[in-house]
Amino acid sequence: MKLNINSMTRGVLLVLALLLCNFTFAQRTITGTVTDAETGEPLIGANILVVGSSTGTITDFDGAYSLNVSENAKELEFSYTGYSSQRVEIGSQTKIDVTLSAGQQLEEVVVVGYGSQKEKEITSAVTSVSAEDFNQGPITDPSQLLQGKVAGLQVYNRGGDPNGQSVIRLRGISTVGANTEPLVVVDGIIGASLDNVDPNDIENVTVLKDGSAAAIYGSRGSSGVILVTTRSGSQSKGVEFSYNGQTAASTAFNSVPVMSPDEFVAAGGTDLGSQTDWIDEVTRVGISNVHSLSASGGSGNTTYRVSGNYRNVDGILKNSGFEQFNGRVNLSTKAFNEKVSIDFNSSFTNRNSDFGFNEALRYGVLYNPTAPVLGANAPFPFASEQYGGFFETLGLFDSFNPVSIIEQNRNQGQRTEVTYGARVGYDITPNLEIAGRVANQKTTVANEEYYPTTSLFRGNATSPTRKGLAEFYDEITSFQLFEGYLTYVADVGSRSNLRVTGGYSYQQNNFESKFLSLGDFPDNTLDFGNLIQTSQDLQNAGFIQANSAASPDEKIIAFFARANMTIDDAIFLNASVRREGSTKLGADNRWGIFPALGVGVDVNRYLDINNVDLLKVRVGYGVTGALPGPNGLSQPIRQVVNGDDGSVSTELVRAANPDLKWEEKGELNLGVEFTMGRFNATLDLYDRNIQDFILERTVDVAVFGTDRRFENAGLLTTQGAELTLGYDVVRKDNMIWNTGLILSTYKTTLEEYVVPEEQRANLGAPGQNGTNMVVIREGQEIGQIWGPVFEGVGEDGSPILQDINGDGQVIGDQGNALNPDADFTTLGNGIPDLEFGWTNQLSFGDWSVNAFFRGALGHSLVNTFRAFYEPRISSQTSYNFVNTELAEPGLTSAQFSSLYVEEADFFKLDNLTISRRFSFEKGSAIRGLTVSLTGQNLFVLTNYTGTDPEPALVDYGSAGNGDAVDFSNPDVLSPGIDRRYTYFASRTFTLGVNLNF
Amino acid sequence: MKRLFKYSLIVCLGLSMAACTDLEEDLVGDITEDIVVEGINIGGPGSSDGALTALYGELRNAGTANHGGYYSIQEITTDEMFIGAKGGDWFDGGDLIRLHQHTYTPNHPFVNGTWVQTYNAIATANDNLGSGNLSDAEVAQARAVRAYFYWRLLDSYGRVKLVTETNQDPPQASRQEVFNFVESELLAALGISEVSESMDLSNSQLADGGSAYSMNRYGAVGILAKLYLNAEVYTGTPMYDKAEIAASYIIDSGQYVLCGEGCSVPNLGKRPRVDSDPAELEGYAAVFAANNEGNPEHIFSVRYDEATGAGMNFSQMNLHYSSQFTWNFQEQPWNGYATLEEFYNSYEDGDARKENNFIVGPQLDFSGSALLDYAADDDDIQLNYTPAINELAPNSIREAGARPSKFSYKQFGRSNMDNDFPIVRLGEVYLIRAEAVARQAGNWTAAEADVNVLRARAGVSEYNGNLTEEEFLAERGREMFQETARRTDLIRFGKYNGEWWEKPASEPYLNIFPIPQEQINAGGGLTQNPGY
Repeated sequence: MKLNINSMTRGVLLVLALLLCNFTFAQRTITGTVTDAETGEPLIGANILVVGSSTGTITDFDGAYSLNVSENAKELEFSYTGYSSQRVEIGSQTKIDVTLSAGQQLEEVVVVGYGSQKEKEITSAVTSVSAEDFNQGPITDPSQLLQGKVAGLQVYNRGGDPNGQSVIRLRGISTVGANTEPLVVVDGIIGASLDNVDPNDIENVTVLKDGSAAAIYGSRGSSGVILVTTRSGSQSKGVEFSYNGQTAASTAFNSVPVMSPDEFVAAGGTDLGSQTDWIDEVTRVGISNVHSLSASGGSGNTTYRVSGNYRNVDGILKNSGFEQFNGRVNLSTKAFNEKVSIDFNSSFTNRNSDFGFNEALRYGVLYNPTAPVLGANAPFPFASEQYGGFFETLGLFDSFNPVSIIEQNRNQGQRTEVTYGARVGYDITPNLEIAGRVANQKTTVANEEYYPTTSLFRGNATSPTRKGLAEFYDEITSFQLFEGYLTYVADVGSRSNLRVTGGYSYQQNNFESKFLSLGDFPDNTLDFGNLIQTSQDLQNAGFIQANSAASPDEKIIAFFARANMTIDDAIFLNASVRREGSTKLGADNRWGIFPALGVGVDVNRYLDINNVDLLKVRVGYGVTGALPGPNGLSQPIRQVVNGDDGSVSTELVRAANPDLKWEEKGELNLGVEFTMGRFNATLDLYDRNIQDFILERTVDVAVFGTDRRFENAGLLTTQGAELTLGYDVVRKDNMIWNTGLILSTYKTTLEEYVVPEEQRANLGAPGQNGTNMVVIREGQEIGQIWGPVFEGVGEDGSPILQDINGDGQVIGDQGNALNPDADFTTLGNGIPDLEFGWTNQLSFGDWSVNAFFRGALGHSLVNTFRAFYEPRISSQTSYNFVNTELAEPGLTSAQFSSLYVEEADFFKLDNLTISRRFSFEKGSAIRGLTVSLTGQNLFVLTNYTGTDPEPALVDYGSAGNGDAVDFSNPDVLSPGIDRRYTYFASRTFTLGVNLNF
Repeated sequence: MKRLFKYSLIVCLGLSMAACTDLEEDLVGDITEDIVVEGINIGGPGSSDGALTALYGELRNAGTANHGGYYSIQEITTDEMFIGAKGGDWFDGGDLIRLHQHTYTPNHPFVNGTWVQTYNAIATANDNLGSGNLSDAEVAQARAVRAYFYWRLLDSYGRVKLVTETNQDPPQASRQEVFNFVESELLAALGISEVSESMDLSNSQLADGGSAYSMNRYGAVGILAKLYLNAEVYTGTPMYDKAEIAASYIIDSGQYVLCGEGCSVPNLGKRPRVDSDPAELEGYAAVFAANNEGNPEHIFSVRYDEATGAGMNFSQMNLHYSSQFTWNFQEQPWNGYATLEEFYNSYEDGDARKENNFIVGPQLDFSGSALLDYAADDDDIQLNYTPAINELAPNSIREAGARPSKFSYKQFGRSNMDNDFPIVRLGEVYLIRAEAVARQAGNWTAAEADVNVLRARAGVSEYNGNLTEEEFLAERGREMFQETARRTDLIRFGKYNGEWWEKPASEPYLNIFPIPQEQINAGGGLTQNPGY
């Protein structure tokens, strides 16, 4: 059942139609409906065109149309994406009803860089997902729309923190030291923020997966490209309004199993006399509301769409969530005999976040279950007032009352984002168009944290003097984009075509930030978070921390060209080249060239196998690049050192690398597309080679003066396969069932590196520093969890580790991991062997059911909660003990081993939506109403004992004793670590309404 | 295709010719050149001045008094201090046990940390010396400070690269060559060709005394004295005569006096309601107090300051979490370093140094009430530091072990302490002379005169013909506890490979630390020390 139409298809057809423009004389009106030949369902947005003219319209939500045609009009052409088009002679008819048959799915037009192509003509690995296939439910981040929908695209927001950013990976990591997230292009604007697009405004997302598709984006294409097309207006009868509303309720899906108060005391825990379920104290049912209203329409040569979106999301952790308003205006028009086309897109987002404190979940897990929430209930005299009335286990490392954390402190932020872009095209001749695009984006972030004088957590409430802390962080990022390009379409016969595009691109990015941290506030009578003049730190030296940063004018300049050629409507050639330069690189290596070539053949056109509708084979090769994150890497960086006597001097902190150059990825992709009746399949195989990747490495400190420097070093290879299968199981008048399966697998090998082997991912405090859990080695797969094998519990309560090499002595402490005699082995891999998504769409009458299952196999996770808190350590009897089914009760010392590495294979019902469509009489004020109920995370099958078995593709390091986590510097070589700051996964039920009027 | 490029260029030219392909990177948020603020306190001889501020700051950055670098590998490899694994706490992948039991390997993070910190400091010296902006006096100071850092490398790693200019990559030198370099640099700064009875330092560009924060003549002579005292270890050739001359030069100059009776400072650690806390710290205790700036015994010191000179973290490293409430610390301590029982017991009661250097027994909080630890391993919840320790690992008791407090703690202390850390102080100079004299004489009683000066100050009985080699080492340990001298001393006395608590006998190759594997991997052609 197709409910939606691809706007680009519509757009292209309209443009074609308009190009053939000649104006009409006497008129008559023809009406009718367009329906699906098999199901009888109305086709919404089907195109109707008077053959030989530019006159046309599209069908409304009931599949109905009305078209004024001139007296001399002879034929109407009816077309719809994915359906065979049909011509009908008008004769004397005034009512023409048409049924269209699905089948010819090849004519779909797909957005690619700097233009669009028919799907059939594409020779690279490109996947397009339309709005109807997006994930349902309250979405906090547009990338979640695609989770599990595109083979080879990994989207994981572990735990589902509403303010957390998803980790997005296309075909695994493509770099080590540079940006690993795909490039986002929204309505042609390179680098536009996905956060400034409301999910409800997205029409279609196209993912350019391989190098030959992404090479047109040069240095930014290595991690793949996500092209987002937002909804636009359509020419129809007057203004159409659409309202989308959702109300959702989320609950914690899973928790870390810990001891009950009774179990805890029985296990030797310190009894503080109360019974408190700390996780329960800090979590809640999170209620979310989404309202979207849009108005769209068009007249003459102009179409528009205006939308406003409101999202209010409460996380399951108390005092976490956000409120967001987004507005968007999209406008298209044509002028000067339709030789000039203007497209304008703009959007605005304001998001007020309560980041809350994920630490409350961490301390909720480990806090003594017999401790009271309030100091007044302490079993001994306790200075409650000093701690805001809350109880605290003073004198204990890394232990904070979780309720106090969320109740007393504030961690908020505001992000404002404005993006606008305009594209102006001019047809110099019917075959040659010149186009220019200007775009601008500005993002302002203002974050603020406040810890009052009574908060032990970061507020330093134990100190008699310097209590309270306020932190402020402001950041402005912006870019300007200018592009100009020419497109030439050559006339080379009816079954062939040639299109050439070439142009220039200029983008400038700027960044600046300011940070201020100060404390020592007056008593807790007021919120002093914004009264920094009251801080006593202003009177004392050395307490205030302040900093600023500003980027240079960071520029990327490029020249690009592309040629697409079709021969005999069956052989397709695509070639592109981009020459690009960046300010970030060394003076002699600023420019790089990124070529791509692709060939595709519709083999079945020549073989003509029975019943086979399509058999296309394609192969593409492309080179893309990656840039380092920071600026100034080719120059030496110094820092100021102040003396006690007012003197100032500087010292070197980072050595220059004037030879720094592009990281380069070459990728070969082989694809086969096959369609036979109701069955279709696409297989992609790829091999990518990333060389000269940019990373900060240890250099000889004696020579360079600092031991770190950014260099091009190493070689990374990835081989992978992606399979997409689709089948229409049932296709009857009253029932339709489509099912689709996507599967992907890849293996990334570190062929060359700066050292033969290296350990990463420190477990951290308490007591497990120097405990690196991941090893990387030249010539081996990345993501290996490396450690000793647990065999049992010794008499002294310490673990017995396996003598793996059989030399009679056991070397199992993690600091010896690289010792040749060490008894270490691979305990798991953080990257899944296989990931899959399984969609099912079932409809009968007005009802439809959408069930989406997702899973991953072959990955492991280190359950760090267990590694720290499951051993019954006698000196830790004031923390609760984690108590999973894997617990070893006799173990009294914590030491990393295979005991804490768990296989995390899972299969889950990710999304189940049941909806009912209500029909209304023609002419009714309401054109359509759909009510739906969605459940997310309804069941998960896994043996993993942590809260969320989803793969952890990156590691943000450990955070000890109340320290904040640094999310800005993910380690991509250390997948598989489930840290203690992971938000708890939730289960969500959503009631949705979609109303069109 | 060419035409398209041409068109693009035309479009581009229409914008602005220069901006079209200009990719110069003008950094505005980073410093790319040295900054010299002139005219600020470039004062009389001996005062620290702007040009060398960063270099003197490197003394703090180089792990002199914090966890994970030079201090750690000099202290917890000895019979003086250890860090016990307390259940899961402070196991840290076995790294700390490995230092204690001498099973460290080239991958040890502290061994690498020390190397990196020390070379960073040397790089700053090279950077300053290469700037061409230094006065002759500043050049002399920078060379002498650099020589001190090379002495640390000589002592710890033996064979290192002698880099004297930025971006220079010389081959790895032998230990003898490093020794020669340290000696010649110090002699050059002192304006002499060798240390002798008749040496005349009047040509030296170094100041004749003055602030201990800058390298003066006596500081440089003191480092030479340490070098010569250990020359036999470093090169096989004893140079005790020169060690004696150097030490005597300092003592005889009369510039410095031992901080004894009447040499006192207010006790910043005093709890107002705890009468047993003295109001003043006198003598030995005053040398290391939080307000020890300008102590008459300090010859060359690292300036630490809670606000402007961060890097001394002893309160956090040594004390139990709950001890925060004894001193009202602004940050919670970490409960790490403690003293071996045998070492603690080597002090006799009444020794002022025992009183000052350790915290033991039941603890009181700020107001004098019992300090409670609700997570205590035993039934007695009052925090009680016991000299006895149950085990090194895996379940070392949280409150076990006397806690180092030589650099005493002050009330309301921050995580960064205020106490200056002496690198050369008169007390040690007496010990150097005593030992040099005894070794030349082949008779340890010859050392008694100088040792008794320190014994007297500590309030314990003087030696009288009964001083032995073993007793001298013990006495040196008592005096120099927590001043990163113990490892060097044990090696010089041939005791580093011996057995002590929870430490089996170890091989002599361990007397020199391994070259860090990370540095060998960095590709500069370094080779590993023998035995590793």
